[in-house]
Parts: sequence; structure tokens; C-alpha cells
Amino acid sequence: MADNGDIIEGCRLPVLRKNQENEDEWPLAEILSVKEITGTKLYYVHYIDFNKRLDEWVTPDRLDVKKLQFPKKEAKTPSKNGLPGSRPSSPERDPVRKTLDLSLQTATAPSRGKTIPTTKRKAESLTLATPSPAGAVSSLPVSTETSQASVYPSMREGNAFSQKCKPRDDHEQLTSLTTNGTARRLMPSQPGRKRKANCGGTDEDSQDSSDGIPSAPRMTGSLVSDRSHDDIVTRMKNIECIELGRHRLKPWYFSPYPQELTALPILYLCEFCLKYLKSLKCLQRHLTKCNLRHPPGNEIYRKGTISFFEIDGRKNKTYSQNLCLLAKCFLDHKTLYYDTDPFLFYVMTEYDSKGFHIVGYFSKEKESTEDYNVACILTLPPYQRRGYGKLLIEFSYELSKVEGKTGTPEKPLSDLGLLSYRSYWSQTILEILMDLKPDNGERPQITINEISEITSVKKEDVISTLQYLNLINYYKGQYILTLSEDIVDGHDRAMLKRHLRIDPKCLHFTPKDWSKRGKW
Amino acid sequence: MSKLSFRARALDAAKPLPIYRNRDLPDLNDCVSINRAVPQMPTGMEKEEESEHHLQRAISAQQVFREKKESMVIPVPEAESNITYYDRLYKGEFRIPKQLIHIQPFNLDNEQPDYDMDSEDETLLNRLNRKMEIKPLQFEMMMDRLEKASANQLVTLQEAKLLLNEDDYLLKSVYDYWVRKRKNCRGPSLTPQIKQESRDGSTNNDPYVAFRRRTEKMQTRKNRKNDEASYEKMLKLRREFSTAVTILEMIKRREKSKRELLHLTLEVVEKRYQMGDFGGEILNQVTIPRPEKCVYSSPISLPNGNRHKMESKTKRPHHISIKEESHFDFVRPKKKYQKKAKLEVFRQQSHTVHRSAINKSDIKQYDFHSSGEEDYPQVQSPASEPDEENDPDGMFGFRRKAGCQYYAPRVDQSDSLLWDYPELAGLRELRHRHCLTALSVPRRCVGLARRRVGRGGRVIMDRASSEHDRILKRLDPEAFASDPGNAGSDCPDSPVWTSASRSLPGKASSLGEILSNIKACRWRCFQPRPSQAKDGGDGSAWKKLGPTANGRPAEMVASLNTPKNTTSGGITEEQYQTHQQQLAQMQKQQLAQLQQKRPSQHASLPDRHNAQVPGTPDCVSKTLDSASAQFAASAVISAPGLGSSEANKDSRTHSANVNGIVQTSGTSKSLHSTSSTAPPPPAPVQLLRTTSGGGSNHLPVLCTGAPQSLPGAAHLNNASVVSPVNLHLSARASAPSPSALKLATVAATALERPPKVTPASAIGSMARENHEPERLALNGISETTVAMEVT
Repeated sequence: MADNGDIIEGCRLPVLRKNQENEDEWPLAEILSVKEITGTKLYYVHYIDFNKRLDEWVTPDRLDVKKLQFPKKEAKTPSKNGLPGSRPSSPERDPVRKTLDLSLQTATAPSRGKTIPTTKRKAESLTLATPSPAGAVSSLPVSTETSQASVYPSMREGNAFSQKCKPRDDHEQLTSLTTNGTARRLMPSQPGRKRKANCGGTDEDSQDSSDGIPSAPRMTGSLVSDRSHDDIVTRMKNIECIELGRHRLKPWYFSPYPQELTALPILYLCEFCLKYLKSLKCLQRHLTKCNLRHPPGNEIYRKGTISFFEIDGRKNKTYSQNLCLLAKCFLDHKTLYYDTDPFLFYVMTEYDSKGFHIVGYFSKEKESTEDYNVACILTLPPYQRRGYGKLLIEFSYELSKVEGKTGTPEKPLSDLGLLSYRSYWSQTILEILMDLKPDNGERPQITINEISEITSVKKEDVISTLQYLNLINYYKGQYILTLSEDIVDGHDRAMLKRHLRIDPKCLHFTPKDWSKRGKW
Repeated sequence: MSKLSFRARALDAAKPLPIYRNRDLPDLNDCVSINRAVPQMPTGMEKEEESEHHLQRAISAQQVFREKKESMVIPVPEAESNITYYDRLYKGEFRIPKQLIHIQPFNLDNEQPDYDMDSEDETLLNRLNRKMEIKPLQFEMMMDRLEKASANQLVTLQEAKLLLNEDDYLLKSVYDYWVRKRKNCRGPSLTPQIKQESRDGSTNNDPYVAFRRRTEKMQTRKNRKNDEASYEKMLKLRREFSTAVTILEMIKRREKSKRELLHLTLEVVEKRYQMGDFGGEILNQVTIPRPEKCVYSSPISLPNGNRHKMESKTKRPHHISIKEESHFDFVRPKKKYQKKAKLEVFRQQSHTVHRSAINKSDIKQYDFHSSGEEDYPQVQSPASEPDEENDPDGMFGFRRKAGCQYYAPRVDQSDSLLWDYPELAGLRELRHRHCLTALSVPRRCVGLARRRVGRGGRVIMDRASSEHDRILKRLDPEAFASDPGNAGSDCPDSPVWTSASRSLPGKASSLGEILSNIKACRWRCFQPRPSQAKDGGDGSAWKKLGPTANGRPAEMVASLNTPKNTTSGGITEEQYQTHQQQLAQMQKQQLAQLQQKRPSQHASLPDRHNAQVPGTPDCVSKTLDSASAQFAASAVISAPGLGSSEANKDSRTHSANVNGIVQTSGTSKSLHSTSSTAPPPPAPVQLLRTTSGGGSNHLPVLCTGAPQSLPGAAHLNNASVVSPVNLHLSARASAPSPSALKLATVAATALERPPKVTPASAIGSMARENHEPERLALNGISETTVAMEVT
């Protein structure tokens, strides 16, 4: 097939990529965007069933054009907003979706493929769309054009901007993008859509749909996705590279850094205050003026080289916002829709002679109505897979212990989040279970509530972990916990590797009662 | 499957779960199916993502291997950590502080420009630097200001000039450069900013808009109750605060009026002094047309005690006593008063009294326990209710006599005596009710006593026992013995006091004079009291005291005639009888005296004194100033003389008397109206009763209650004139009034030891009167001030 116009957004085809073993593989991918630089077309592809963070710009030679699947025509009409979830729709599912869409929603924007794994979800999104006024506008068949037009400018701006930044971009790109834009333009305007609909967060969904406020997401939490999140702009990474201290990071997701900075090959961040700068020169200049050598907060924990700093999102807005912008590059579901006032940020640093280098952080609502003790949590990529994530989690539970509460991370969890938390919960719970000694010759026993109290892990998480570990069994009329050999061995091995631990004695933390402080 | 129904039981989080090792349960596999009965918990992930390939692979790898496999981890975009220029970029080292780092959030805001120079700027800078020196920071400052000043529109060159205040050339170059750069700039600003929300909501879906303000309220569900409660509390608080404000406003207003009043009074006094209106004639004339005013002031001014004091001024011993009084004064503000205004008129005093009354009432009203309670009792007379005091129309309300002039009592001073007296500190409780009382006849201090007026105008002294009785008793006699004039006053007081009194000028002479006066007058009112005016020390003080003294005479008068006291049983039958006699005598006496006095009105004092107290008028007057008792007595006597018993009504005569007195006291400059009766001391220990023997001094002092207190009539030539006496006589109703007065009677003994007597009486009268300015007393004074002289 031809390289040119044939391959458009919504097409699916196998794309070459290297796996972890550096082997070639040809996973199916969806074209999300097309641009042309110096005569070469580049395709932004999303690998089906892979996480968005692996999306990338690829050259035409990596495309297996022979297996190109065009987006179904019907799909265009009904799709409410472009991309429903974090992953693109698979063509196979289209029919189902289509019928539903058609029945409920006659016309919206032309849709590109959209994955709706569960009918339920689709229905939800539909219901969401209908009640909202804004949704109504865009969902009306007649209004399609207008809504497109209305959305268009923003896209245009983006394009124009990219044009400016990259003078080399030629007209074609603009056109292609425009086409693109047209195709997906409506997505952002669909207020009813909920992107992070169901990650165990069905409640969330229904809640949102019921309150019928289309324009703004709810204000609690940090992960509630805003609807605009779903549009094509936010689906694509916008920052190519971030230089932070010694590290160069490849962002995983979109982050709303100032738009003029997104065209830069490298975005420079001050390692300590996280200010974003457009050039190394600027960073140099900035460093002459920036005296920070640690996060601008109070150090509430230090052991060895590891320290934690507490930053109030209301008192230190600049830093909090910069931190959020950075974090957003690696957290798909994080929303920056609202200000940082109701959050505290706990930044974990590692000290060396240059200062306290940020390793990761987690944010936490000052007051959580849902027992969340973590809003967003992130280990920066250079530090990942070295136990820091677990350290962050452990710290968050230490704080909860001080507060005398149980807590749970805000949902949805990311894949990495789930793995990390499961791992932490497993180890924490197994630690307790294995430490239980027979009492007076009686078989040791423990309640779930007790586990929860000891660990500050919310009861539901304890149960889910026990289930995940397959420890709960029903035996002779009662539930029992069974520890299999491989569980025990696995745990022992894991614990051997876990040398980074939080030492509660090094924590100097006094919880504040934020409910008494007026507004956050 | 049937088993399943068994297992429908939910997992109970509160139920203990026994922990088994798999090896302990060989038959566990039989139960495997049961596991499915446990509801699956959601993972917390989005369903779509949960099914992602790498995650599933990782999860299954974990399940299988129970640990992470390198090859099975979720792949992520690569990160590099090999920035080679890092060390050059981040210069210097940072030493880790030993303490945990604490940062003040607002210290972060330094004045550094947000604008960071780029390489393009650097080129310009290099160019500029050829002509002039400009540092990067300076340049950045300029750019920063320009940037921040132009939100939507670029600042003009003119504005830039104002903004930057730089050299013209530099400014122009930078400005031009900035404008150019700004125009080429892709973003809205040269310093990249996060896109802000626009108010029209058009940016609601703009992905580049972040950190919108939260316009809606945070969920308050949790605290709704608290909110309501606290809201109500706030409302209540506000109400209470506003009440407090109102009260304070009112207090402020009140205090202002008080001050005004004081100033006015002062002015009046000074004017009068300048005019030589010592007798109050002029004042009277002026005042008559506006009786209400007088009414206002007079009720308070009338208390006998004041008068007594006033009179005391004329005589030396009294003077001393007065001094004592002031010394003891515990009411601070009033003290100040005295010091500031040396020539205070009675009126002023009355005001003070009035004021104090107001204060009390206010205090009561507003429930200021802490400050109010202590003062309250002190100021107040025990016998009378505060309200009474405030309300002139009370049952015993004072009725002004037309044409009479009334002077204010020195309530405060008299009161304070005991209190200030260190030794008597323990007497606190008794203090307001009782006064230190000394008897002249049996030379001794009887301790605490309270005067009352009994039937027929008898003065009853209620004695009160206290821990300090010993001291008190010891004090008095000595004083009497040593210094006739001071006797009464000195004894109870501290050495300081005595010395002060002694130091008074002309004392010696005055003593003698007093003696002679007493003899001549044949009156003697003996009521030695420990509490005396402090002012004694200075001549001026004397003068001040004058007013205080005023009250006393009345007291004395009252005390003279009062029969025995019921409580103390102090008054003997004899006394009563004598009392009757005295009355008659007094009247006669008064008449006689009046006649005598009349001739010399201004110089009346001398005359008067002559009549009453043989001695040099002037000296006498001086001495007398302080010596309240005698003076008072004389005054009283004169008063009655004028109007006979009720003669006082006649303003003229009255004034004349006053004048005369005043004149004598003229040196002291204080005017004393004889008419005013001193309020009776709260706790009369002894009833002193003086009978005025017609023309001769034979007023026996009757000490009822006090064992020794005998109407030492024999040697007491108490001419103590008791207006109350008349009052009592005429109007018994008044008798019950507080006016238990001590009468200092100058008896015949006066001749023998006149000085003693006088002072004593003066002293005695002093303090308590102040306490109890009673209308009755006042009335009595006005109407019935009778000077009784005992032969």
C-alpha cells in the first residue's frame, strides 16, 4: 500500500518494535496521527493491548502496510468521541459498538475506531453523553459540523504552533493534522465521556453520570479524568524529552506544559525547583538564581540518603504545579484540571553532594472522603525497579499509621501501580502472617481487621491481596488462611531483595487536622 | 455444588482466620472449589488497561515464579542518566544539614527575575556590552518587568521608561529587542506560563489549561454539623462582642461626662476662690435658680461626715485627722482628685461620691465582678443600699430646702482610713461597716464601731470586735494623752501619720486656741476617731480636707443626741435622758450662738469661735480646719442657732454660718457648710452622745456599748453640734438612717484638755461619714443642723 494518504488515522496495521529481549515483534497498532517532517511521514502509533506509554512516532518502514486495516466506515458516524479508553478500539469490536452507538446516538463526530470492551461501559458513556448540554450539542447530527468548527480552533492553534516551532513542517503535515483534527475534533467536546470509567471505579462513573455536570470534573481526587483528556491531543505524548538533573526522561504521556515548549526537542527542568526552561542556556541562567538544593518543603523523614519532604500544595503552588506537570508525563490518569491546593506532596529524595535529588513522590489529599492515603504516586523512571516505589508506598502507610487511619490509593491504579501495590501488600501481609507464632499450642489466627489495623492497609485491599495470593480457603466450615510452600519461599526471596525500608523512628510527622483550617 | 450453598457465608473481616501451612492440610485440595465462593475484589485498575498484554504477562509471571522476572517486567520508555555536563551545570556542593530541613514557605519568594536569558539574549548582551556594561541579571530584570507589565498589550516605550528607569540608550535597545522578540514569540509570553483558565468557560476542555481554581466548595458533608454549630457560635459571639462594644461606649461617655463635671467643678471652685466666695453665698445665688442641679449634687454631699471633716479643718486636731484620712484613703482615683484639685468644693466631692455610686451601679449592671466587688462595699455605706444612694427619691430621699446650699461629703476619704492602715488589714470585712472609733472621755479607742441614730435622735454606736481591737485600743489612749489635739486621730494611725500631723504648721498654736475656743464655746464634741484625713500634712492638704470635714459636723451633731444603740446597747438610759436635756440646751445654745455669730459674718468665725471656742479666731480657724469635730460642732451649733432647730433652712443664716466657718478655715480655703451632715459611719461602736448644755458646754459624750464609754459629760464639754440631733429630735424617721454619728462632744473638760477632745472628735467623725452619705443625714443636716455646745 502506498505510504501517503492511504494510511490515515484510525488505520490498524502491524508495526515493528523491539521487545525487551531486543527481539523484533510486529504487534498490531493503530495510527493515531500522521505528520511529515522534511519530506518523511511519521506515524504516531498505539500498539494494541500495549500501554499508551509505548506509543511512539514511527517511520513508514516500520509499518507492515500489507496488513493495513482501514477504519470501518460506519464507525465514523457513531463514535461519540474518538478514543474511549486508554486504548484504541479494535476493529473486531466495532460492530457491537456501532450498533449500540447507532441505536442510542445517531450521530456525533466521525469516529475512528474505538474500543469498548464492555457493553456496559459503552452504555454508560452514552448515557453520560446524552444528559449533558454540551454533549447534546455535539451529539446532534446537525451540529456535528459546528461543533467541529468550534473545536477546530484549538487544534488549529496547535497546528499553527507546531508549524511555527518547526518551520520545516510542511503544508502537508498541517493538512494531515487538520484531517486528523476533523476526525477527532469532537472528542473533546463530548462532555459525557468518561475516560477512566471503569477501573473498579464503576461507582465513580455512575456518580459522575448522575450529577450531570458536563463541564467540569469533580474536584476531589487527583485521578479523576477530565473529559478533555480523551481527545487526541492528550492521547499523544507532547514532550519529546525532559532533562532533569543528570537524567533524560522520555515522557510517557501528555502533560500540559506550556504549549510553546512542546515543540522543543528537550525540555529542561531545574532539578530542584522543577522549573521548566526552554534551553540549556536558560537553565544555566536560572541556576545562577535558584538556590534550592532540596524540595522547598519541610523534611519530615531522613534515613541514610533517603529523605522525605512535605510540600503544601496551597503554600507552595509553583513547586507543586511543576511537580504535577512532571508527574503527569508519567501518570496517565493524573488530572491537572484543578489547582493543587487540597494536596500535600511528599517528595522522596536521595542525597548526594549536589543536593537532595528527587526520586519520586506521592501526593495526598489533605482531607479524603474516601480513605485515600495516596492520590498520585510516582517513581521517576531513572529510579524505577529499584525498590523506591515500594518505599514510597511504605512511607504512605507509615503516615497513615501515625494518623491512626487505614488508607488506600486513589483509583484507578495504573498497571505499574497495581503491581507495586500488590507486591507491597503481599509482602506486608505475609510478613505478619509468617511472624505469627502459635499461641499456647493453638494454631495462630488473625482477623482481617487486625491485619488492616496493623498495616493501615484498608480492609478491602487486605482481602484482595489474600485472594490474589490465594491464601483464603474454605476448610471444614470456616475460612482459613493457608501458606503454601512457594508463597513462603517466594516471600522469603523477595524480602531478601528488599533492603530499602522505612524506619518509623526517623519519621517526624504530626498530622494536621485540615478540616479545622478553613479551606484546605 | 451443594457445597456452595454452605459457603455462601461471606468472609467476615472480624472473624479470626486460622493460619495453616499447606503441608498441614493434605486434604485442602478438596476444598479448592470453595475459593470461588469468595467474591473477587476489583483490582482498582481500569478494565481496559487491566487486560493489557504486558501487565497480564507480568502478573502471570509473578503468579508462576513468585518473583519478578527481568524479562517479564512491564516495558517503559527508556531513560538516560548520563548527562555529562551535569557537574558544570549544577555547581558547588551542598552539605547536608544535621537537622531536618525546615523551610519557611514565604522565604522562597525572592526578588529574582523569572525571566531567564537565552542565547539570543546573550548575543544582544554582548553587543550592548561593547558600549556599556550590563549584567545578565540586570537584563533579565528589565525583560522580566517588561513581560510582567504587559499582560495583553505590550507596554509602550513611555511606559517602559517609567518602568525601568534605565539609561536611555540601554532602555531603548532592550525595549526594541524585547518588542521584536515578543512578536516572534510563539507563546503568549517570553516566560512560558501554564495556560490559565478563562472566565467564560471556553477553556474547560482545553487540555493545556491546568490548575484551574476550584470554584465550588469542597465537600463539606463531613463537617456540616460542625459548620452549623460553629456558625451559630459565631453569631452569638458577634452579638456578645457588639454588646461589649456598646457597654464600653457607654462607659466612655460616662467617664467623659464625669471628667467634664470635674473640670467644671474645679472651675467653679477656682472662680469662687478668686471671688472670695468662701461661704458659698455667691454660689448660692447663682445656684438657686437652678435647684435641680443642687439636688443632684447635694444628696451625696450631705452626709454628715463631710461636714464634720470640713469643720475639722478649722481646728487643728481635725486637720491632723484629715490628713490621716487621706493617708488611709484606699480609693485611688479619689485620692488623685484631692491632690489635683486642692480647692475642691463640696460639690465636687459630692460628684465624686455620686460618681462612685454610679460606678457601683454600673458594675452591678454589667456584672464586672472582679473589679467591681471590692470597691463596691467600700464606697457604699453599709446602711444604705447602693440604689438608695443613687436614687435621691428613695424612702429617705433627700429633700432640698430652698435656699440651702449643700456640700458634698468626702465619702471616699473617710472610708479609706482603715483600709490603708496596714495593721488593720485584717479588718477588711468590717471596714465598710465599722469605723475606728475613739472616745474622748474615757480616753481610749474603742475599736471599730458604727454609728446609728436611734429613737429620738440618739446616736448609737455599734461596736464590732475584731482581731485588731487590741491594737486599736492601745493606740487611742496614748494619742489622747500625748497630744490632746491629735489624740483621736493619731492613735490609730501609723507613725507617719502622726508625724505628718505634727508637722503641720501652726499646730501648736492652734491647739491652744482650740482649747481656749472650746472652753469659751463650752462645747465639745468628742469623737476621736482613728481615721482622719491624710491631707493634714500640707496646708493645702488641709484645705482640701475642708470639704471632707464638712460631713463631720453633722455626724457629730447626730451623734450627740442619739440615744443608746440597740445593737451595742451602748446608750445608757442616762444618756437618753441627758439627751433630751441636751436637745433643749442645744436649741438655746444655738440661738445664742447665732446671735453671736450674726454680727460678724465674714469674720464670723472668730466671733463664732469666740462664742463657741474662746481663742484667736484665725488661729483657731486654721487649726479648726483640720479639727473637724469641734468645728463641725460649732458650725452646727450656729446653724441651729439661726433657724433655731430648724433654722438651718434659712439659707442666709446658714450661709452666714458657713461663711464664718469658712473664713476661719479660710486659710484652708475650703468651705464647709455646716448644714451638711456627715453620713454616719457604718458600724458605730459606741454611741457618743453629746448634750449641748444651753450656753455652756455641757455636752456629755455618751458612749453606749462601750463599757468605759461613759458620758464623760463631766469633763467633756462637748459642744459638738449635732445637726442630726435636731433631726433626730424633730424627725425620728431620719434617725434610723445611717447616721449613727459619733459626736465629739467637747465637754467642760474641754477646758482641761480641749485639744484632745477636738481632735478626737474630728477624727472620729471623719471616715465613716464619707461612707454613708445618706439623704436622711443630709436632710437632717440641712434642716436640723444644730450646733450643740456642751458647757
